[in-house]
Amino acid sequence: MQITEHPVLDKKFNEEVIFYFNNQSLKAKKGQTVAAALMANSIRKLGASRKLNKARGVFCANGRCTSCFVTINGLEHVLSCTTLVEEGMRVSSNESDPDVRGESNGN
Amino acid sequence: MDKSTIVCRCEEINIDEIETAIKNGAETFDDIKRLTRCGMGPCQSKTCFYPVNEIIAEYTGMPLNEVSLPRLRMPLKMVRMSTLAQDSEGSNVVSVFGESVEDGES
Amino acid sequence: METDILVIGGGPAGMSAAITADRAGARVILVDESFSLGGQLRQQTQHFAPLPGSEEKVRGTALGNDLIKKLEASKVKILKKHIMIGSYRNENIGVTDGEKTFAIQSQKNIIAPGAAEKAKIFPGWTIPGVMTAGAAQILINRERVLPGKNAVMLGSNDYSLEVARQLKACGVTIKAIVEDKEQMISSDMELLHDMKNVPVYLNSTIESATGKEELNKVVVKTPAGLYEMEADLICIANGFDPIIEPFEIMGCNLAYHKELGGWLPEYNVYFQTSNPSCYIAGNAAGITTIGPVLLTGEIAAIGALEELGFMEQEEAEAQRKELWKELAEIEKRENEKTFRARSELIEGFHQKIGMAFPEEFNMVNGGAHNG
Ligand SMILES: Cc1cc2nc3c(=O)[nH]c(=O)nc-3n(C[C@H](O)[C@H](O)[C@H](O)COP(=O)(O)OP(=O)(O)OC[C@H]3O[C@@H](n4cnc5c(N)ncnc54)[C@H](O)[C@@H]3O)c2cc1C
Ligand code: FES
Ligand code: FES
Repeated sequence: MQITEHPVLDKKFNEEVIFYFNNQSLKAKKGQTVAAALMANSIRKLGASRKLNKARGVFCANGRCTSCFVTINGLEHVLSCTTLVEEGMRVSSNESDPDVRGESNGN
Repeated sequence: MDKSTIVCRCEEINIDEIETAIKNGAETFDDIKRLTRCGMGPCQSKTCFYPVNEIIAEYTGMPLNEVSLPRLRMPLKMVRMSTLAQDSEGSNVVSVFGESVEDGES
Repeated sequence: METDILVIGGGPAGMSAAITADRAGARVILVDESFSLGGQLRQQTQHFAPLPGSEEKVRGTALGNDLIKKLEASKVKILKKHIMIGSYRNENIGVTDGEKTFAIQSQKNIIAPGAAEKAKIFPGWTIPGVMTAGAAQILINRERVLPGKNAVMLGSNDYSLEVARQLKACGVTIKAIVEDKEQMISSDMELLHDMKNVPVYLNSTIESATGKEELNKVVVKTPAGLYEMEADLICIANGFDPIIEPFEIMGCNLAYHKELGGWLPEYNVYFQTSNPSCYIAGNAAGITTIGPVLLTGEIAAIGALEELGFMEQEEAEAQRKELWKELAEIEKRENEKTFRARSELIEGFHQKIGMAFPEEFNMVNGGAHNG
């Protein structure tokens, strides 16, 4: 949920953007991260873990834990908590872990 | 705590698996890593290192300052292979993660 | 890319170091992985005092903006959205902007990556809705979104209560504070007063956190039995530890000091690590408060400037003496144990490498032991 009146800080975001999550069109504020933009729309499940297929969402909001992976414009495993949302962005939930050891990564 | 509680979020390794590794002789984070994959996920143990070391300390009675740290590997943060390959200076990008290449452990 | 001084981290410590170095005429590059400067000050709406040279209370976010303005008005080359990911064999630092990787060749590095929150595990801690207290604070203050409506705080330190207070002011109900120790960790009267209507469970842990796809139920295990509550947010406040990866990459020796947050690089009175090309500043050099964070940045910059000949020895010594005095004063006042641990770390390192203490340090350090 968006905070419209912050108790101590001035209004920060003025411009609105439209983006897509799993093909659903959503509104967000320009300047927000993708993770926050989704949370503003009450979406907190951002993906599922690979092994046990459990729901995952923001944990550290600091780009360290990788719990907030999503796919953005076709690129998989992007940290949604450190990526700013953009007009027309196509975001989808992360349904598998990155294959760090896979052949596609040259290992 | 329930032994099925996850410790390493990335690789979904639970307390039981870690304690079993310790029972089998693991003394350090890296020993556990080799036995269970704990710490080998995309965050590269940044999240689980502390709880894992706590479990080692508790289980073995070793003080936390004697439980050694996981060995760090480059790159420090998740980077795409294409990005590493795009080295503007061209020459020695492999040395950015040369260590792992050298060790041949990966 | 080439420079005299490379600063890693654009939080208060890194910014303070960069501004100091620029002022003395060095060429400076500052690298930060985020899309904006300010580090963890960006979400700190609480007031801080004392600051170096001032007793006046300043809001964290305002302090950050002030530093950013100074930095942007300087000649420092700022590289936002650039991450230090490693080092080359010749010790050049490897940086990526997400598209390409390149080396920055510098004479000296000042590394100020800050601190990270320690995780705490319990059954269900991976479910969406369970996050660190810092994450919740970032969401409400930087991102202006509510992470949940009904929160359980795990941990009762100052930071936990501060975040609880800020969440409450945004309309979040604080359902409970859960602490596994036998008493509250925080002794801040103001914070405790603000939380006086919140149920506190001592000697208690989270037995389970459940929900279908998102958190909606928390069971707390207390000495009096299990309590079940509806909550869609758990904030874990388990303290901070210094971020050490960049130092490990640079081959800096580490030591364990509980009072400073755990493992961290060893450094001398100049805030120089065991790798002479790397200085350290901020919370990476031990978890402390904002005043000392800023001062460590300045001290580190002065060391580098002196070594590179941008500052005369005499001038550097005089400035360092004042800064150390202030650091000691503030840190002892706010957290005596932290200062003691810092002195121990420094003394230990000097002994190990057989490096004499400069006059100025003996003075402040002596103070730490005597009173
Ligand atoms: C989530 C969170 C909340 C906090 N809240 C409070 C609080 O309310 N009160 C308080 O007193 N303290 C708080 N702290 C502690 C905080 O560390 C200090 O308040 C203060 O910001 C420390 O300043 P610093 O400059 O040392 O580090 P930071 O402010 O953390 O700045 C470090 C900077 O380095 C950058 N960085 C790190 N690694 C790299 C890399 N490899 N490459 C490029 N850039 C990098 C980061 O993006 C960041 O901008 C918090 C810490 C965290 C993590
Ligand atoms: S929430 Fe931890 S990396 Fe994004
Ligand atoms: S939590 Fe263990 S590797 Fe990420």
